[in-house]
Amino acid sequence: MPPRNRQSERRPARAVRPARPVTITAVVDPVAALASESLDDNLYLYDTNKTAGSTGFGTPELHSRVRKGDTLLWNVLPLECETYVALTDIEIDPRIAEPTRKVYPGTDIVFWTAEVKQDLTEPVPYRLSFLLGTVSTPFTPTARPALAGPADEERAGR
Amino acid sequence: MAQQHGIIVLFDVENALRTRSLDGNTYWFDNMKFLGSVGVGTEQLVTIVPGTHFLDGSQATEQVLNWLPAALGAIPPTVPRNYLAEQERADDRRTLRELAALDGEGGVSDADIKRLQRRVGKRAHKSGGGRGLTHSKLLDVTGRTTSDSGAYNYPAPVITDITGPAVTEKIMYPAQYGSPDMIYDGWYWAATVDTSRPGVYPYTMHVQLHELVERNDELVWESVDLTCESSLKITNDPKRNGFTGAGLGVLPLPPVPAVG
Repeated sequence: MPPRNRQSERRPARAVRPARPVTITAVVDPVAALASESLDDNLYLYDTNKTAGSTGFGTPELHSRVRKGDTLLWNVLPLECETYVALTDIEIDPRIAEPTRKVYPGTDIVFWTAEVKQDLTEPVPYRLSFLLGTVSTPFTPTARPALAGPADEERAGR
Repeated sequence: MAQQHGIIVLFDVENALRTRSLDGNTYWFDNMKFLGSVGVGTEQLVTIVPGTHFLDGSQATEQVLNWLPAALGAIPPTVPRNYLAEQERADDRRTLRELAALDGEGGVSDADIKRLQRRVGKRAHKSGGGRGLTHSKLLDVTGRTTSDSGAYNYPAPVITDITGPAVTEKIMYPAQYGSPDMIYDGWYWAATVDTSRPGVYPYTMHVQLHELVERNDELVWESVDLTCESSLKITNDPKRNGFTGAGLGVLPLPPVPAVG
């Protein structure tokens, strides 16, 4: 953990932080998930931080590289537009992030946002739950995505 | 008519604009994994097209494909297509209401005026200057209007052509449908597939992304044209009814509705 004054020295760099949040998109095949009653093979996660070193693209075990102060945004892309899919819960250690449910203004389409509260040294797994079709019990994949800190080489270089 | 294939292409627009390439920035999906499509969710999707014939041996009908492009890290396509236009208008109405409310007792505070000024900008709209997809307002990725030109929501990528061996060998006949009104409608691409010649046939998708750049003290949308590739695999397997696993025919509806 760096001393406090070093953190404040780095603050000017935050000003050049990209204006967009780090978006984590869950692509869901709702028809296959409803037919198999499982999301395990029917959830594909992606984020916009590949250049920062995120890994696991296209799997439910996406590891998103994030830093303290990053804004995160989770949204859903259903593969079948006529079947209801919504992200209904995100469970993560509240010391790391406290996701809030929001809707795109003027619609009932849900997204979640959170701010990363601290730099991470170990990946922090979290759990996503989805509502599909008219089934009232949420679907949660067995595999967990995670938030991860800066890549090792980047940390070593500091 | 057999079920239509939906092929969704997700583009990492930010990286694609930065590298000026779709290599490594494209993820393909279709809804036919259960029939044998491989590479779903990756850059190497092979879309299965079963069915030179029906189970009873008769010649199958053609297969229809539809392509839907989407931008990663943008407002998802489940939000209505005219969302930008509607939010712009809602924002204008809100500003006008607040402007009218300023004229209350106790005078007008500078801070309120500055806040509204920041929202609407100081420059007048140029009439007839519709060069891009938006006039002067921008939406950010949470659907709110923003004045930060670095935070804009990427417009949906536009497919401009589909070419390659699958087209030249007359395996599929792609065509563009829809309307040139990109705000309320837009284009989409669909194709019919000749299922009588099994084999793997690659094709190239031509895609237009849009980048917001400042030129002559003005923000304009510039198009960036790129290509990416996928393929179709046409097999000898018979087309099946997804409900019954048999040929086309009546669906297995119960003769009487379930009680309850």
